[in-house]
Amino acid sequence: MRRRRKKKGGHESVELNLAAMLDMAFQLLTFFILTFKPAPIEGQINLKLPPPQPVTNVNSGQQAGSDQQNNSAVKGLNSLVISIFSNPGGKIATMAIGEGTVLGLTALENRLKAVLGPDSGASFDQVIIQVGSRLKYDELMKVVDVCTRQTLANGEKLSKLSFVELPEDG
Amino acid sequence: MSGSMNSAASAEPNLTPMLDMVFQLITFFMLVSNFQSASLDLSLKLPVVGSARPVDTEGTEDLLILNIDSEGRLQLYGYAQDLDPYIASEAKASRTKAKQDNPKFKPDDDLPATVVLRVDKQASFKLVNKVITTCQAKGFRKFALKAMNKE
Repeated sequence: MRRRRKKKGGHESVELNLAAMLDMAFQLLTFFILTFKPAPIEGQINLKLPPPQPVTNVNSGQQAGSDQQNNSAVKGLNSLVISIFSNPGGKIATMAIGEGTVLGLTALENRLKAVLGPDSGASFDQVIIQVGSRLKYDELMKVVDVCTRQTLANGEKLSKLSFVELPEDG
Repeated sequence: MSGSMNSAASAEPNLTPMLDMVFQLITFFMLVSNFQSASLDLSLKLPVVGSARPVDTEGTEDLLILNIDSEGRLQLYGYAQDLDPYIASEAKASRTKAKQDNPKFKPDDDLPATVVLRVDKQASFKLVNKVITTCQAKGFRKFALKAMNKE
């Protein structure tokens, strides 16, 4: 690509006109500079969201209370239900696991560790989150974040969630 | 600067180094340009979740990216779209692709595509749930909720 201006033995050397190539290169450069928009680095939480299912996995022909060996209140339950109620501003007002109220996200995390963890003996494999319709998405994500950090009794991370809308005024 | 050997001296700049540099710059911008980000609505304010981590799917996974603004509208390349027809057409396309990839794929099987939800943090759950249930009704089961891991 270099220009040769010396003449050897009377032969004319070929001269490349770089100006046209440079023009095109600058046009390409301008295009890439103008369209360059670095996207922010976003994280994500992966979930399996099946439609709402029964909280117990009932075998066909099985009658309620027929298992005499089962004296645990939670054995046989597959789904843990968390309820989140919102205030008019869309923030979390109260939360409950089953019927027990939990105060704050730290309390929720501790309770979930106790209920879902390997030492609990429970067979939960999914969490149903009942959410007040006014709750803002960022508040919901705080709860989802706490849930997806939990490890189930079988050693797997909790990723199976279902959402149910609780009707609220406003 | 290469000079002319003629008697009438003319200033001709040596363009080669400049061209080298310009090509290097072009190469850099070509490599860092990501035209997929055009499908992301960067005006959305995503929620901040500490444990959200970037996941590199290396392009192997089929993704359906949905940008939902604070009013619950689906934003596609800067324009609001109707949710139901868009999800239905994407589900149909995903089902067709899944059938091509796996001949044993049945029409009522769960779709292999992952729905990537980029939802404005001010959107209410009622609006988000409508999007999720619409996707579930069309056969999508795998979801990825986008969030920033810092402000």
